[in-house]
Amino acid sequence: MSHTVLVCDDAIFMRTMISDILGQAGFEIVGEAETGSQAVEKYKQLKPDLVTMDIVMPDMGGIDAVREIVKHDPDAKILMCSAMGQQALVVEAIQAGAKDFVVKPFQPSRVLEAVQRVLG
Amino acid sequence: MSDARVVRLLVFRVGQLVCAAEADRVREILPRLAPTRIPGAPPVVAGLMNVRGTLVTVVEGWRALRQPPPPAEAGEGAGGSGTTVLLEVDGGKKVLGFTVDEVVDLLSVGGEALERRQALPGIDPTLVRAVGRRAGQLFVVLDTDALLTPILSS
Amino acid sequence: MDLSQYAELFLAESREHLSACNQLLLEWERAPASPVPVGGLFRAVHTVKGMAATMGYARVTDVAHRTENLLDLLRRGSQPATDDLLQLLFRARDSLEQAVELSVVGREDEIDAAEILADLDGAAAALAGPGGRPAPAPGPAPAVEAPAVAGRLVQVTLRSEAPLKGGRALLVLKKAQALGPVRNVTPSETAFESDDFDGRFSFRIETTAQAADVERVVRAAGDVEHLTVGGEERRAPSPGAAPGAAQAPDAKSRHIRVDLRRLDGLMDLIGELVTARGRLNELAAQRRDPAVDDVAIQISRLSTELQAEIIQARMTPVWQVFDRFPRLVRDLARELGKQVAFRVEGKEIELDRAILDELGDPLLHLLRNAVDHGIEAPAERRSRGKKPEGEIVLAAVRERASVVISVSDDGRGIARAKILERAKRDGVVDPHAEALSDDQLLRVLARPGFSTAESVTSVSGRGVGIDVAMTRIRALGGSIDIRSQEGKGTTFVLRLPVTLAIVRALIAGVGAERYALPLTYVSETVEFGVQATTTVEGREAIVLRDRVVPLVHLRRLLGVTGDAPSRCPIIVLEMGDRRSGIVVDGMLGQQEIVVKGFDAPQGTLPVFSGATIMGDGIPALILDAGGLL
Repeated sequence: MSHTVLVCDDAIFMRTMISDILGQAGFEIVGEAETGSQAVEKYKQLKPDLVTMDIVMPDMGGIDAVREIVKHDPDAKILMCSAMGQQALVVEAIQAGAKDFVVKPFQPSRVLEAVQRVLG
Repeated sequence: MSDARVVRLLVFRVGQLVCAAEADRVREILPRLAPTRIPGAPPVVAGLMNVRGTLVTVVEGWRALRQPPPPAEAGEGAGGSGTTVLLEVDGGKKVLGFTVDEVVDLLSVGGEALERRQALPGIDPTLVRAVGRRAGQLFVVLDTDALLTPILSS
Repeated sequence: MDLSQYAELFLAESREHLSACNQLLLEWERAPASPVPVGGLFRAVHTVKGMAATMGYARVTDVAHRTENLLDLLRRGSQPATDDLLQLLFRARDSLEQAVELSVVGREDEIDAAEILADLDGAAAALAGPGGRPAPAPGPAPAVEAPAVAGRLVQVTLRSEAPLKGGRALLVLKKAQALGPVRNVTPSETAFESDDFDGRFSFRIETTAQAADVERVVRAAGDVEHLTVGGEERRAPSPGAAPGAAQAPDAKSRHIRVDLRRLDGLMDLIGELVTARGRLNELAAQRRDPAVDDVAIQISRLSTELQAEIIQARMTPVWQVFDRFPRLVRDLARELGKQVAFRVEGKEIELDRAILDELGDPLLHLLRNAVDHGIEAPAERRSRGKKPEGEIVLAAVRERASVVISVSDDGRGIARAKILERAKRDGVVDPHAEALSDDQLLRVLARPGFSTAESVTSVSGRGVGIDVAMTRIRALGGSIDIRSQEGKGTTFVLRLPVTLAIVRALIAGVGAERYALPLTYVSETVEFGVQATTTVEGREAIVLRDRVVPLVHLRRLLGVTGDAPSRCPIIVLEMGDRRSGIVVDGMLGQQEIVVKGFDAPQGTLPVFSGATIMGDGIPALILDAGGLL
């Protein structure tokens, strides 16, 4: 059975790209979220095997969303999507409970490696 | 048209006049259908015709070439016999219908077989591109752009 | 990976973010102390940066990155916006937009960003100077020698190309913690947050696990180049091939962007389907075969649903066009030394994208006129007892099957006396006329090239543009009205159909001919011959609920020969304040029609907005309510 994924990013462009990368690798994209609070809500509803989470999002940021999700499910597997120069934010996200991170611009192989690490 | 290249011409009859149009400009040959009148348009415009979902403005050939009305025209525009030739104008950007009495032939002629335009009785010389001969009979190659574009509004 | 397939998406989304930047900058300009806009600006620019980097557009990424830098400093320092900063950020946004547009069409090398980059960096440096950014102190150099503490010493070097090494290092520690307590992290964990962290660190772990197990666990964090556990060194294996199966399952429902040409193509096909459906219905009615009826009914239902879906897919909120106006109005007002508060209402109202796309220019003309000629200079406003700041409102409202868009200003209004004089001279109105009605005023203003501006500024001449706007709106099957009061202001009202492609229409018979009249502007039908007619200002009219409705005999207007029946229907059209009764021979029913264009010959009466193909395959012309009124 393929793993289910919830993709959280405020840019459709990024969501499309992540969904394409993971979809082509056999993952099932079960949902998308544009804001942190949407991500939390959808996580509770969809219980995906994996979450990809953008750090900078309107409404509720990615790091707060990680905290909320981990509070709800300490085993949640969350992969942060960050940009160069967000070292401190990534560290904060990992401390909040994110399991790994990838850095934009995305290279499909690196995204898939990170996903394997998180799920493995 | 005096060079040696071969030109393909569609030859048709409008009233007493035998004319031709460059076959490259001919999109399609259709039976004549009763067109829908366009109020305000001059009499030379027969109306609108449906060509598989596209609306085509149709020009009445005999009026455009100042020929006497065909006998069928005596009855209320039922169409009856006759043919509509769809011609490209304005470099292919537009297509107009042009009604003729009958299509006579499709000819391939060398450019040398055509003579430069010359005055012919019964036709405006500015509409004539060249004059050709078929089975001993003269025909005029029409300048379809000169004939049709003034009918459309800018 | 082929990125070209993402280029359109990148462009569309970047444009949205850049448009949002304009709104946010304007908001910030109005409320310089508000902390909200800068956060939004930072996010928008950051998102564009991420997307551009992914697309490999280095220059866009660069401009975005430096803009983001400056915004980050402003955000952290809770700096209020100054005029200079806002000007700089407006410029940065504009060059970012230009860089995006050029990159997408492969003209990245034409981007000239040197000046704006220098200015951005200059501003950032000024801010980050004394008391600027609370930069985290770079961590000390990693210890090679660890103090003597119990447990295995683990020394890690991350791959030099690994991004955000601090985050990776933290992941290593987290993984290691699963085996036992971790101590003596060198450099300390706070150094991981610094951009200067070079990826070399060490720690001690108290664990009973074998060295090989420690290594396996630590490597699982990823990006580990060298690793020594308890003095034993191992080399990193070469990066493995990307895992993952090739077969792609269907992605779940999500938003996609569709090229308008695709939608147009789909619409054309549905148009054909609607025409064929009409033909099928006529045939079914002749056949009276229940089985054929069933199929006809089913096809009718399906095509109606399909049509509704596709029309819905074409609907676009007006903000997609409106959102660029606040910036334009602002820039224009600054240029002309005016103070203008610009408000937009009804942004969420939806219109067919094909109509919306055509609205930008006409609205721009009207807004320019409002700023340039409507709103007075601050001093003049004060002397007239008005607020120095003028107001311009752009509003959209849904009204039955049409959308009404208005542009109002509270400026000086139009000097009717002057226009009347001019109109008399030009013979547009009766030389004895004493006043101009709103309708007449519009007719005068819309004459090509008409201008009453005392000084023709670089922006617009009053009147120039109104004829352009009017032609455009009429071509879309809409209308323009004007209301102007001297000293109080001017309002232009645009009425537009919600969709162009398929409309519901009345089919009217005149002699042997049929004409379609879109229901958008039909208010009711009454019967001629029963209603008493009167004559008002030389025109035949009926009185309907105390209002005079002038009549138009379609038979006479269209030159149909023969006599009208003695009793026949009058179709009452209503467009804004104007009404007109169209006298036809008979009503042949209502149906959905597909609007098509045709090449109108010279002389065609200016009362048609297109033509349609009826169920029997014969074309019928569509009457344009705007042209009849």
